[in-house]
Amino acid sequence: MNAAPRLIRRLKLSGLLVVLGLIVQALTLFWPHPTAFLVFLLIGGTLVVAGVLLYLFSIASDPAVPAG
Amino acid sequence: MLPSTAGFLAIVLATIALIALLALRPGLVQARGGRILAFLSLFILPVLATGLGTSAQMEHSKSTKFCLSCHVMEPYGKSLLVDDPSYVPARHFQNNRVPRDEACFTCHTNYTLFGDYKAKLRGLRHVYVNYIGTIPKQIKLYEPYNNRECLHCHGGARTFEENEVHQPIRSDLQKNATSCLECHDKIHDVHGLAGVKMWKEGKP
Repeated sequence: MNAAPRLIRRLKLSGLLVVLGLIVQALTLFWPHPTAFLVFLLIGGTLVVAGVLLYLFSIASDPAVPAG
Repeated sequence: MLPSTAGFLAIVLATIALIALLALRPGLVQARGGRILAFLSLFILPVLATGLGTSAQMEHSKSTKFCLSCHVMEPYGKSLLVDDPSYVPARHFQNNRVPRDEACFTCHTNYTLFGDYKAKLRGLRHVYVNYIGTIPKQIKLYEPYNNRECLHCHGGARTFEENEVHQPIRSDLQKNATSCLECHDKIHDVHGLAGVKMWKEGKP
């Protein structure tokens, strides 16, 4: 019964992580410095990957989503 | 703006707009169309954006501004503006023999993210040394300067091929047995820059 709100909550968190990651990645492109690449990968990349993984986990563990 | 940067920014904006739509109307994910939208905005587009962003970052690493952004490289940037044609890098930079916005990378192709895995590891080490480690007093190339960097422009050029000094050593130059720098030896010379006259663009 709580599956749909839980899915939506997880999707919102996933979306937040992805948006934050993309904003960090976008900002680094306006900073011509070697550190920008590290920030792009280590902070931006980690946030995006975390968001994507959370999204995949959410839909895989959601009983309302039919398998196949 | 580089095409990869423009593409990246377009995808970022599209992704943020779609995620905002899903956040404002969460009921959309109950329908098939909404689930496809979520898949697109939370999986496909972020992965695509990160790939394009990485490509854009690599392109940026070729820029002169990128190389000179570390304090330790400032004298090397200054050496490009020496008002003396005997300085090889300055002569190339000021006469557009190398693209000014990619001046360093044009002659040092085994540096930056475009080099092999060793170049990438060295790049990471440079960042570490710049912030945490000790910067050496004298910066040296990791390996002797490769004639390849000169010959990718000069090889085949008439003034180079017909030069009577070059002709007898042509194969040695090709094989790196003789370095171009043995004769063209006034390179960055960063320790001799004090008091040297500098070129100011547009001012004769």
